[in-house]
Amino acid sequence: MADYVLSAFTWQNGLLFFIWTVITLFAVLGFVTYAIYFERKVIGWMQLRIGPNRVGPLGLLQTVADIAKLLMKEDIIPKAAVRDLFIIAPALTFVPSFVVIATIPFSESITFADLNIGILYYLALSSISTIGIIIGSWASNNKYSLLGGMRSAAQMISYEIPLVLSVVGVILMSSSLNLRVIVEGQLGGVWHWNIFPQIIGFVIFIIAAVSELNRTPFDLPEAESELVAGYHVEYTGFRFAFFMLAEYVYVFAFSAMATVLFLGGWDAPAPFLSFIPGLIWFLLKFSFFVFFLFWIRATLPRIRVDQLMSLAWKVLLPLSLLNILLTVFAIEIHKWIA
Amino acid sequence: MSTGQVVAFFILSFLAFSGAIMMIAFHRVVHMVVSMATTFLSLAGLYILLEAEFVAVVQVMVYAGAISILMIFGIMMTKHHDGEEEKPTTWKSWFTFGSVAAFLFLVYVSIRNTKFPEQTQQYVSENNVLEIGQMMFNQYAIPFEIISVLLTVAFVGAILIARREEAETE
Repeated sequence: MADYVLSAFTWQNGLLFFIWTVITLFAVLGFVTYAIYFERKVIGWMQLRIGPNRVGPLGLLQTVADIAKLLMKEDIIPKAAVRDLFIIAPALTFVPSFVVIATIPFSESITFADLNIGILYYLALSSISTIGIIIGSWASNNKYSLLGGMRSAAQMISYEIPLVLSVVGVILMSSSLNLRVIVEGQLGGVWHWNIFPQIIGFVIFIIAAVSELNRTPFDLPEAESELVAGYHVEYTGFRFAFFMLAEYVYVFAFSAMATVLFLGGWDAPAPFLSFIPGLIWFLLKFSFFVFFLFWIRATLPRIRVDQLMSLAWKVLLPLSLLNILLTVFAIEIHKWIA
Repeated sequence: MSTGQVVAFFILSFLAFSGAIMMIAFHRVVHMVVSMATTFLSLAGLYILLEAEFVAVVQVMVYAGAISILMIFGIMMTKHHDGEEEKPTTWKSWFTFGSVAAFLFLVYVSIRNTKFPEQTQQYVSENNVLEIGQMMFNQYAIPFEIISVLLTVAFVGAILIARREEAETE
C-alpha cells in the first residue's frame, strides 16, 4: 500500500484504487442487505414469527425493496433545522464506518492496507462517527434527537476506554499493533487463538464494542420507547438510510475485528482442516459474530442510562486493567521459565 | 513531481487552513467546532504523509472524543438564539489587527531565517511504533511519568472543584 501511495499518481493507479474501493463497497452493501434480512428472520424465529417471506423467494428481496422505497421517498429537511450540518451529518457518520474496513486482513492474500497501527486505526476512526451523530442530532433542532446525540457521546466516551484497554492484552501477546501480525501469531489451531488466554479481554471487548455500535442492549441513543427514534428522528429517505447503513457497516467491521483479534482470523481450527481456504474460515467466524449480535438483540432488554455508565466505569474499566496486569505477569513468568 | 503525496499535501493543508479560518469566521458554536474538527483531522492526515502514523492515529483518537465533548458543552452552555450583530470598529479592533499583523510578520521572518538541516535524522521507518515505544520508556521515561502524574493531578483537581461546588449548592 505504501508503495502505491508513494508511486506517481497516474490515472492507472487512481483507477485501480477506485475499482478496488467500488468492489469493496458493493461487497459491504451486499452484506448489509442480507444482514438485515437475516436479522429480521432470526428475530422472527426467536419470537415465533415467520419474518419477511413475501418479496422474492423466501422473502430474499425484502431488503432490496425496502432500500428502493427509502431511495424513492421524499427527502424532507425540516424548516427549523440547520441545513448544511443536517446534510453533512449522515455522510460524516457513514464514511468512517466504511474506511475502517481498509485495514482488516480477510485472508492471507486479501488485505488492503497493511498498517503497522491497524488496531488503533480502527479504534480512532470509528470514534469519528459519533461526531456525525451529534452534529445530526443537533442540526435536526429536535429535543428528542438532541437527547439521543448526547447519550451517544456519553456512551462513546465511557466505553471507548475499556474497549481500547481490552485490546491491550492482545497487543501484549503478539507485541504488535499490526492486524496481520496479530493473526499470524495465532496460527496453528484453536488452542493458539487469543480467546482462551485473553478470555477476560474478549468478554470486555464484546460488551464495549456492542455498546460502541449502539446496538441492543446498549441502544440508548435510539431508544424508541423514550426518544421516539433517537438521533435520527427528523431524517427521512436516503439520509436516514445512510445512518442505518453506517450502523450495519459497523456490524461488519466489528465482527471482522473480533474475528481477527480473538478467533485467529483466517486460521483453521485444527491443522488437518487447513485444506479449506482461509477466507471460508474467516467468513464462518465472522458470521458467528454477526449472528451473536442478532441473538442478543432478540434476547436482552435495553439497560438504563445509569446502569450503562456504572457498568463501564465500575466494572469494565477495573476488569480491563486487571486483565492487562495478569497478561503482563503471565508473559513475564513464561519468559522466566523458558 | 506529482505523486499522490503532493496532491494529498495540498488538499490537506487547504482543509487545515480553511478549517482554522472558518473557526474564527463562524458565529454559531457547533459550526465552529465542526470547522475545528476539520483542522484537527487534516493535521492527522499531514502526519500520515510524514510517515508518523502513530501520532496521526492518536491525534484522531484524542480529538474525536475532545470535539464531541466540546460540542456538547458548547450546546449546553451557550445561548442558541443570539442575535449576530456586527460590532462597530473601534480603536480596539484596529489595535488587535495591528498586533496580529505584527505577530504574523515576526513568525514569517523567523521561519524564513531558520536554517533547517538538509539531512534529517534517519530512523528505521520499518516499525516506528516500536521505536516510539522504546524511546518513550527508555530515554524519555521520566518526562513520560511526570506528564502522567500531572494529568492525574489535573483530574483530581477537577473532581475536587466540582465536588466543592456541589457541597455549596446543597
